[in-house]
Order: sequence, then structure tokens, then C-alpha cells
Amino acid sequence: MSSAPVFALRTTPSLPVRQAAGAVAIAIVLLAWLLLTNGATPEARAISPSVFPSPGEVLKGFPSLVTERNLVGGIAASLNRVFLGFGLALLVAIPLGIVAGSFRIVGAAAQPISLFARTIPVAALLPLTLQMFGIGELQKIMFIFLATAPFVFHDTARAIVAVEDRYVDTARTLGAASSHVMTKVLIPLALPEIYATVRSMFGIAFGYIMLAEVVDARAGLGYIMLQSQRRGMPEHLVGTLFVISGLAFGIDALFKFFERGFFPYRHSND
Amino acid sequence: MTEPSAQGAASVTKTPIVEFKQVSKTYETGYTAIKDVTFCVDDVPDHMEIVGILGPSGCGKSTLLRLIAGLTPQHPATTGSVEVMGKPVVAPGADRGFVFQDYTSFDNRTVEQNIAFGLECRGMAAAERMELAREWIQKVGLDVKRDAQKYPHELSGGMRQRVALARTLVLRPRVILMDEPFGALDPRTRYAMQDQLVSLSREVQATVFLVTHSIEEAVFVGDRIFIFSNAPGTILSKMEVPAPDRPAHVMQREPSFLEIAFSVRDIVEGLEMSDRAGT
Repeated sequence: MSSAPVFALRTTPSLPVRQAAGAVAIAIVLLAWLLLTNGATPEARAISPSVFPSPGEVLKGFPSLVTERNLVGGIAASLNRVFLGFGLALLVAIPLGIVAGSFRIVGAAAQPISLFARTIPVAALLPLTLQMFGIGELQKIMFIFLATAPFVFHDTARAIVAVEDRYVDTARTLGAASSHVMTKVLIPLALPEIYATVRSMFGIAFGYIMLAEVVDARAGLGYIMLQSQRRGMPEHLVGTLFVISGLAFGIDALFKFFERGFFPYRHSND
Repeated sequence: MTEPSAQGAASVTKTPIVEFKQVSKTYETGYTAIKDVTFCVDDVPDHMEIVGILGPSGCGKSTLLRLIAGLTPQHPATTGSVEVMGKPVVAPGADRGFVFQDYTSFDNRTVEQNIAFGLECRGMAAAERMELAREWIQKVGLDVKRDAQKYPHELSGGMRQRVALARTLVLRPRVILMDEPFGALDPRTRYAMQDQLVSLSREVQATVFLVTHSIEEAVFVGDRIFIFSNAPGTILSKMEVPAPDRPAHVMQREPSFLEIAFSVRDIVEGLEMSDRAGT
């Protein structure tokens, strides 16, 4: 009995081997971090504690991050902005994308505008939204909206177009009118792809909010990170980074969990 | 006194169910799929026909079915007229059911929801359409308790085609168009599906056009066989064959059946040889 070589080209190792590979990579990064920030005095460390904290310092700083810096309130403020901005993007972009995918003439008309909106660098939206919406909450919400809506629109239209003609032909020969084809064939068959877009774009929107929160925010994770940097508290800065990663991972896991309920026909054999 | 009236009745009932008059289809690319196809299949109550369509690959057999169905880009014909029940075909409709070679069950719907699709489009109440769907699940040889709630990806190829057949027949179409529906099935399932097609199409009183590459299948299920020439396809030969009156696995082993099948095979192989030789 011979096992497949781990380094074979395009060969997927077993799940335990893959998990072990991930654990080893984390261990290497942690070890490097420990070594670079190890030392009794700042002078003895390869990287000064004022530049980057050690793992122990991040852990020690966590209680004060929660109590003094109002971490929970920051999480709530950031999520609220993402939910509002991204929710608005879904409400506007998904119906428009469905129409553009179903009626090719609408898709052709929308294409140049969609391309323009998708090629605007996200950082350029910052001064634009400040100019248009001021420096308050509305600017942050509209920033998320403008940064995500063009992509949600484009991917939704593409998912509708990708539904194969054979399903439409079948529906037609079963007596489906155009409205039936849209509501009973195109949308349901494209929905898993649209959901996948929503899932990945939510993660991106969550990342974008940090960018908006560096400008005159009163709360939020981006605000906490900026304040930590200004006050010279790198352990809070790095601690917040871990919180952001943990949140993003948790939200993605929730999306995955609901996906199984929404689309049982895609996962029954998993 | 009775004879003239019987003749009169026959003349009244013998209206064409599908009629092609000098039909040609040339695409924008300049490729001609079929040329000058003319035939007529009458609508005779209690004697609905199954027409088997044979011919070399790419000879326009599927084009013929899609023209009857009114499906683009084959529809409309470039020249000639395609009529179903005396009216020109203008668009697809549930009166002309279509069973495709590819599996076309809607992935998001269970077996019973797939079968009820056309009824749902007609606006039939949920309870009524589900009852009809379950009736047809049984008729095509599936098990209501075991299979009704399954999704397409949980079904074998044969089961998927049974669902496709049930979904079409539940609407009781006048014409059933089948494009190599059993091409991907194993021989045993194929025999079972052939038997089912014959009995169920008789039950719903539908005229069937079956495109197939299997000469035995066409000879078995068909009352008539159209043999197409190489592209641009035209009907080279129309043959009447004995209607199926015994199970497929019995009838297809009999010498008289094999004799007919061999004679049809000679014609089709001759066409393929001439195509390869470029004649």
C-alpha cells in the first residue's frame, strides 16, 4: 500500500494533512513573531515594542481593549454601518442585475456604466463621498454602498445570463410565459451564484469600513485602530486586527450555515 | 348507407397534426440544416402515431423537432411552412411537449415540483397539481414515497428522464418531441423507457416524434420512420413499420424485427459511408 506523495502536482492531500499544513504555517508565523519580539528590554528585541508588540503583550492588552476602548461598541458601530450600506447595495443592485441579465438590451445599456463604476479605485471614493455626503454617518454608509453595489450588480447579471438556455427552452415547452421564466427559472437557478457573490462581497464591505472609519468617526473598529496608533498602543492595534479577522471568519461561517438551509439541493451529498 | 358515412367521418377526422411544406432552414452563417422537408402526419383519434427519425449526425433531425416546438434559433424556418393542427407555429407552447437529451430537471425543485411545473404555470391550485404530479410519478415507474421529495442530483439518469417524461405528459400535449431522450441510458433501462413511452403516449393520445441514433429503438417504438439524408437534411425515405405490441426486450429479439432493423441499418450506413466519402 503506497500513499500519494504530498508534493505531487495538482494532487489534493487528505483533510488531516491539509489541516496539519495550515497548523504548521500558523506555528511558523507565531514562532517568528515570538523570536522577533522576544527580549527582556526593548533594546534586546529585534523589533521594538513601540513598533510591534509581542504575542504576550497583545493578550495582556485585551482586557483594556474591551473595557477602556469600548471594543463591543466599536464592533456594533462598524457592523451597523456595513449592514446599512451593504443592505442598501443589495436592495438596489440585485433587482437591477436581474433585469439586466434577463433583458440583454438592458444589460448592454448598463455595461459601460457598470464597467466605469467597477474600475473606480475604492480609495478614490473616500474624497468623493466626503464631498457629497459630509463627514457624518451618511458618508460612511454611502461609501460602503458605492464601493459594493457595482460589483453586486455585475455579478447578479452574470449569474442570470449563465443560466443555460436548455432550462429556458424546457420551461417554454411546458407553457411558461416570460414572467414565469424569470421568476420560476432564471432567478431560482441563479440564486446560489448570487448568494455566493453576496457572501464574498460582505467580507469585502467589512474590510472597506475600516477605510471609512479613519475619517471623523466617533466609534467603530477603524476608529479604535486609529486611536491606538495615535496613542502609541500597538497591542490594541494588533488586538483589534485579530478581532476583525475573527468577526469576518464568524460572519462567513454564518453565511455558509444558512447556505445549506437555503439551497439544500446543492449540499445534500456533501 | 353506413359506408359513405364512415368515409365521411374519416375525412373529417383526418386533419394533419403536423405538416411541413417545403421547409428549409439556413442560418446567418450560411449553413443549411434542412432543405425542402415535406411531410404530413395526420391526427387520427385512437391511432396516434410515433414517428422515429433516423439519420447521420448533424443532418438536421433536431432542427426539425425545434421547428415544430417553435424554439429559436431554429424557429422560424427560412422558407416553407410549419403547421401544427392546421395553424402556423409562432412560439413554443405546452401543446408540444419536448423531452431533451440533456437532463433539464430544475435543480432547485423536487421531483414532484418538477413534474408540477407546467401545471403551476397554468395557475392550477397547489393541492390539485401536486396530486396530479404524484399520480404521474407512479405512472412513469417512480415511487411516490421514496422519490417525490428527491432533488434531481439525487436521481440516476433513467430516473431523471422519467421525470422529464412525466413533466411533459402531465400536461397532455398533442405532440411530444423527443431528442435522443434515452441516448445516455443503459440497455435495460432503455428497454423499460421504450415500453413506457409507447404505453403512456397512447394513454395521453399524443403524436410522438422521436429522434434517435438507435435503429432498433426507432423500429420498435415507431409506427413510421423518417430517414434523413446527410446535411442539408431532407427526408430520404419514409417507412411504415409494425407498431409495438409486445415488450421491447421480447420484440427486439424476433427475426422479423431484426430483418426490418437490418434493412433500415443498410440505408443509414449507406448514407454515412457516402458522407465520409464526400459524395
